[in-house]
Formats: sequence, structure tokens, C-alpha cells
Amino acid sequence: MTSRAYLVRPPRLATWLVNLFVSSEEESMVGDLCEEFCHIASKAGVAPARRWYWRQSVKTTGHLFCTAFRAAPWRTAAPIIGGFFVGGFVKGLPGKALSAVTDRYLLFWSSHFQAYMWLLKGMLIEHLILSMLVGCIVAWAAKGREMVATITLALARCALIGAALLWVATHLPIDVGWMLWSLADPFVIVVGGAIVRTRRSAGRIRPLPIELASDHSSDRQPLEL
Amino acid sequence: MNGRDYLGEFEHIVVLALLRLEDRAYGVTVRQEIEFRAKREVSIGAVYATLDRLESKGYVKSRRGDPTPERGGRSKRFFRVTAKGVTAVNRTQRALHKMTEGLGLARSYS
Repeated sequence: MTSRAYLVRPPRLATWLVNLFVSSEEESMVGDLCEEFCHIASKAGVAPARRWYWRQSVKTTGHLFCTAFRAAPWRTAAPIIGGFFVGGFVKGLPGKALSAVTDRYLLFWSSHFQAYMWLLKGMLIEHLILSMLVGCIVAWAAKGREMVATITLALARCALIGAALLWVATHLPIDVGWMLWSLADPFVIVVGGAIVRTRRSAGRIRPLPIELASDHSSDRQPLEL
Repeated sequence: MNGRDYLGEFEHIVVLALLRLEDRAYGVTVRQEIEFRAKREVSIGAVYATLDRLESKGYVKSRRGDPTPERGGRSKRFFRVTAKGVTAVNRTQRALHKMTEGLGLARSYS
């Protein structure tokens, strides 16, 4: 049995998930997870270590999310409230612009129905891009609590959309495609938050290869998890 | 006596773990100590949330260690219990003892 050093990394996706919620002062938490992952991998093998790491990451993420408000309620709530109003203002702009154009050139659009439909679809995509922009703004304002702020804003929007959909469902026939499209809005807000967070944390995370001296025959392979 | 000077259940466990570990107390060892002694699986997030709360109350103090490759280049954060923390844990222990005195719980658990 040869003794070799193996490169072992914790699951990247799980690490990314935790890093989304961890502030710069809490980076030792990720280090602790990393260290214990190595310890479990050398003792019990990589598969149990990966399972453990995922379990811990999900639980830790939940804890970080819940404790963010308790730690700094106003600093977390202010960007969310701001984002709510900015979202309401910004998202109305493409609709107003389109109305202005269509009202002016009504005759043109009535004879070019395809072009009108194309413009409408473009506007829906623009709506999503604006939502993502709102997510980015909220995340930028909520320094260190980007994900908590954007997820909370997305949940609030989900609740509003859910209430609106419920009302629509009781009065009009349900259009599943439209319902799914409505839910894309909160999702892209979170994506905006994740983009800002990932860019911010890229500067401070120093990924070093983790050497694990192990004699586990079942895990005898270079590992890139 | 101020009611806020008592420790919550998990805070109590964490402070006792810190006292046991002395100068070896950081996230990993605290989590393992709780798992080993209390037979209770806890997340590192829960441990840190409690430690941060205890630090803000002045019951524990923390200091940074050096970053190591094993930890992906991240430093350890060591914790120690302050005199105020020891007073709080003693007060909580006494209150628990007084509340359980005469109930015969030790007998029924054995």
C-alpha cells in the first residue's frame, strides 16, 4: 500500500452556497467546515465526508439566514424596503415607454401585429432584466447580507404574486405559462443577489489545495469534487 | 438580579464546552465536544450563531489564529469564556440545581 497525498476538496457547490451567506468576519466558519471535511474524509472516506459536508452546509446556511435579521435588523431591512420601492418604480418604465410609442403609432402597430407581439415579448425579457438589476442594487446596498436581503425581497414578491394569482385564478381561467413567468421575477432577484455576492467574495476567498494523507484504499484516486 | 444574566439551554452547553476545551476552543472542537458529550448533532452555523451572541453579551471573547492550507487558507477563531461568562454559567447552574432539587429526576433517568 503506497502512501500518497491526495488532493481533496469539499463539494464546490456546497462551499459556494455557504460562501453566499457568510460575511468576511465569519470566514473561519468555512475554514472549520473545510477542516472537519478533511478529518472525516481521512477517517471514514470521501463519500461520508461529502454527505456530512452537504448536511452541515445546508443547516449552516439556514442558520445564517435566520440569524441575519436578529444580528442587524435595520441594516438588513432597509435595502429590502428600498428595493421594493425601486422595483415598483423601475419596472413601470418599460410599460410606460411602450404605451407612449404604441399610442402614437397606433395605425402602424395594427397593421404590423407580429412586430407588436415581438416587442411585447422583448418587454417581458426586459422586465426580468430589470428585476435582476433590482436584485443587484439591493445586494449592493446590503453589504455582507446580500443573499438574505434578496431572498427576503423575493419571498415578499412571491407572496404578493401568489395573492394576485389566487385572485386571478378565482376570476379568470388559469394560464400556467403566465403563472410560471410571474414566478421567474423573484427568482431573478435572487440571481442578481448571487451575482453581486459572488463577485464581492471572489476577492477574499483564497482557494488552496487541501492535502490529505490517507491510506483508504477505496478512496485511492485524485479527487476533484 | 437581572433575568438576562441567565444562559439559554444551548448557550449553556456551548459555554460548558468552551470551559472544557480551555485554549483549544474553536468552531471544530466546540462542535465535536458538544456532539461527543451531549450526543447531539449540531451545525457549525448554530455554534457560531450562539458564540457570536455570547460574545455580544460579553460572556466570551474571541481571537484569530493563523490561516492554514488544511482550512483552505482561512484562519481559526479561538474563543474563551470571560469572568462575566463564568458568573453567568454559575448562576444558571445554581438555578437549574434549585429547580431540579427534590424532583428525583436523577433516579428516574438512571
